[in-house]
Amino acid sequence: GGAMSFLKRFPPPAEGVRHQQPDTEAVLAGRTLGAGTLYIAESRLSWLENSGVGFSLDYPTISLHAVSRDLNAYPWEHLYVMVNAKFEEETKEAPMAEGEEEEDSDDDVEPIAEFRFVPSDKSALEAMFSAMCECQALHPDPDDEDSDNDYEGEEYDVEAHELEQGNIPTFYTYEEGLSHLTAEGQATLERLEGMLAQSVSSQYNMAGVRTEDSIREFEDGMEVDMAPVVAGQFEDAEVDH
Amino acid sequence: MEVSHSVKERTIAENSLVILLQGLHGHVTTVDLRDESTATGRITNVDAFMNVRLTKVTFTDRQGTVSHLDELFVTGRNIRYVHIPDEVDIRATIERQLQAIHRVRYFGGRDKGRKEFPRAKHK
Repeated sequence: GGAMSFLKRFPPPAEGVRHQQPDTEAVLAGRTLGAGTLYIAESRLSWLENSGVGFSLDYPTISLHAVSRDLNAYPWEHLYVMVNAKFEEETKEAPMAEGEEEEDSDDDVEPIAEFRFVPSDKSALEAMFSAMCECQALHPDPDDEDSDNDYEGEEYDVEAHELEQGNIPTFYTYEEGLSHLTAEGQATLERLEGMLAQSVSSQYNMAGVRTEDSIREFEDGMEVDMAPVVAGQFEDAEVDH
Repeated sequence: MEVSHSVKERTIAENSLVILLQGLHGHVTTVDLRDESTATGRITNVDAFMNVRLTKVTFTDRQGTVSHLDELFVTGRNIRYVHIPDEVDIRATIERQLQAIHRVRYFGGRDKGRKEFPRAKHK
């Protein structure tokens, strides 16, 4: 067939590559583009033939993607990607799939290109699909006119806003909390944990730990049943000292 | 009850009907796309941008050709309709989702790590 002029030479993406699948055939509208490597990166989806030429697709142009294992529909298991864009196809001398000529002329408004990525390793399809889902989610539709999401300036953090009112306490899980401690805080934690380890009945008020008494400090009127602090609560925590 | 890990996504969901779609996790649902193809499958995820992930999908393209897809991800932008299944109580679903969001917001925004305190009672 004729050359696909949208194929270009470019280096493979180096950053944000969520998944890379070598030995993957790319097929456009039923015609193969050859064998190469598919790069599912956060910025775009790229495919490079082994010779070094290939193409990229921007996530906002991708309408949907899917894993197809239906061999009646297409003889090889593959990742199907539908793109809302026009890609130059081969000249008319090459055979085209049935019905495609008519499709093209109807599609002045809504150009559609169907890509199939056929990995030699079929077991990779789940990972390829998931990587694409993650990357797609990084590119929400900027033209979404339905959205009332007017987050002007900084991202509106409802929870941080409520925290400022002083009503709602923040709870850190142990691992998260550790990372928020200053050096002094960590030293304090180590000392207190040492004390806990030694004594069985502990009635110490530890930072960040609510006891029956400290509840009354919060005037939010939300009744919360709190168990009293039990010694050894951190016993099963993994502590790397 | 699955709730997004993202503060921004929870806020978006709370303020739009996407929250209803998120309550459809696990339900077999038909989604009509902008190009008039349809996809029927079990919803495994809907995010705040209305991107929908379906599994075990019967896909009918705009020419009427039927095929089966193991997994399908449709961008929110390309969805025209979501057919809410008959068995779904819309109001109850929305209320449940809102409660889930509020639980996450007030009592521990992460799934990983232990919740150190028992769950709060809601009035």
